Amino acid sequence: MRYYKFQGFAFLIPILIIVSIFYGMIVWDLVAAFTHWQGLQPTWKFAGFYNFSRLFQLERFWINLRNNILWLVFFIVPTVLVGFITAYLLTNFKRGETVLWQIFLFPMALSFIITGVLWAWMYDPSSGLINSILKMVGVNTSKFGWIALPKTAIYCMILSAFWQYLGFALVIYLGAIKGIPYEMVEAARVDGASHFTISFRIIFPNVGHATLICTTMLAITTVKVFDLVWVMTRGGPGVSTEILPYLMYRLTFESRDIGMGTATSIVILIVSAIMVIPYSLWALKKWVRI
Amino acid sequence: MKEKHFLLISGFLIGILAVVWMVPIYALISTSLKTQEEVALQKYLSPPQKPQFSNYIKAFDVLKIGLRNSFIISLTATFLCIFIGSMAGYSLTGFNFRLATPLFFLIVVVTFLPYHVILIPITQLLKTLGLLNTYAGLILIYVILNAPMATVITGTFFMKIPPELEEAAILDGCKPFRFYLKILIPVSLPGLVSATILVFIQIYNEFLLGIVLTRGPDVKPVMPFLAELKGSQIAQWHIQMAGAAITSIIPVLVFIFLGRYFISGLMAGYGKG
Repeated sequence: MRYYKFQGFAFLIPILIIVSIFYGMIVWDLVAAFTHWQGLQPTWKFAGFYNFSRLFQLERFWINLRNNILWLVFFIVPTVLVGFITAYLLTNFKRGETVLWQIFLFPMALSFIITGVLWAWMYDPSSGLINSILKMVGVNTSKFGWIALPKTAIYCMILSAFWQYLGFALVIYLGAIKGIPYEMVEAARVDGASHFTISFRIIFPNVGHATLICTTMLAITTVKVFDLVWVMTRGGPGVSTEILPYLMYRLTFESRDIGMGTATSIVILIVSAIMVIPYSLWALKKWVRI
Repeated sequence: MKEKHFLLISGFLIGILAVVWMVPIYALISTSLKTQEEVALQKYLSPPQKPQFSNYIKAFDVLKIGLRNSFIISLTATFLCIFIGSMAGYSLTGFNFRLATPLFFLIVVVTFLPYHVILIPITQLLKTLGLLNTYAGLILIYVILNAPMATVITGTFFMKIPPELEEAAILDGCKPFRFYLKILIPVSLPGLVSATILVFIQIYNEFLLGIVLTRGPDVKPVMPFLAELKGSQIAQWHIQMAGAAITSIIPVLVFIFLGRYFISGLMAGYGKG
């Protein structure tokens, strides 16, 4: 096959062009973040860290950043933990496993917009599903505003993403747990180890790769929940559910402040790269046999 | 005895969790079939008295242009992604290039990086090319964003094919392109189906580019239409839910009938090959 290296290379040309465009756009972004570009027409005038300092002076930026961190913590930890526990419990069953994980994975096929439309209705304070069920069992719901209240809105939104992504963590862990040598778990069981010991002392340390996959993928998802923010609250009440990609969108397409918009996207880029690059290096080792 | 209790309790807990997970879906479907008066009673958990398919007609009326646009864009872009991606996957795994590994790394990084970081250059690129608000523009961007993922997934599947297969074919005088088309594609069809499903669902479900790269309804994909339906039919839950049901039919059918491939694509795409 080495005789055909030239032809083999020809197959690569389209993706080479695509990847170059992608990285080119990142460079473009970096450059634009250091210019005085406001309004529709580009002005390629060097501005140093002007855009960044303006951005960091915005209180809104820090609220957005805090919300991003809230997403990282309150989305990833429960999804990973509940996903792992559910997967462990499922492996103890002989029947019904397939049906069950399909029920949990099913929301993954839906878009954030569908999830958002559905959950915005569920959370509606006056005529939503959740409050109507609570009223049915006799709870006074007048205080439960869910996504209408600044204090609870972001957690409610995270919960809807948890609903959508639990199945993902579950399936990844299910595959990983099945890969563990049966003898190891069986030996502990014979020794009389409790389920808690087996799951957290023996299985969990042996499915580290699944934890890495889940954590990284869910972390990247917290950037993509832009759609959910848009359709459920538009960032409100106030700016209480805004996240950085949303701020970037508002700055760029509503205020037409490209300088500050690109500066925000650089912040997002740095945060994403910290997660993506080490993960890619790790994933590459598993992939490459070349 | 203790083990039996444990199984009973955990079965019970998982059962409850599964019910909780399905309640939103059930409520969505049941509400989408109710009359406005029935919805106003707020008895969401009771089934509709008489299924109102007119809700679906009303919602479909708003969404139909979007559905048409989404089909045109997603199908074309998915086909191109799979074509470009599988050729690249073949090239990277079949020829022992010295630069294959670093190149693969660059592709993997691009696969995982959220496209939001290049949203602004994307709009500028299409503006410069004069492709804002065109099918071609949206398809171009979706191909750029998803072909890397198609490369990674198909590449993962191609690696599992024994190199002897290719050596034998080449010895018999088979040229690489013929090998790719006549042997590799048919042999790794499951991998291609997985990649196709994942890329298609990703593009079909996409929203942000749909609002940023289009003006007016002409080429706008369906997700922005659904978001607008929510804004224009405030508290008309039955219409909103009918719209959500219509837009989710395609991904749900794919999930039900090709779920196996969906999973194996997820696994391959996230580095568990």
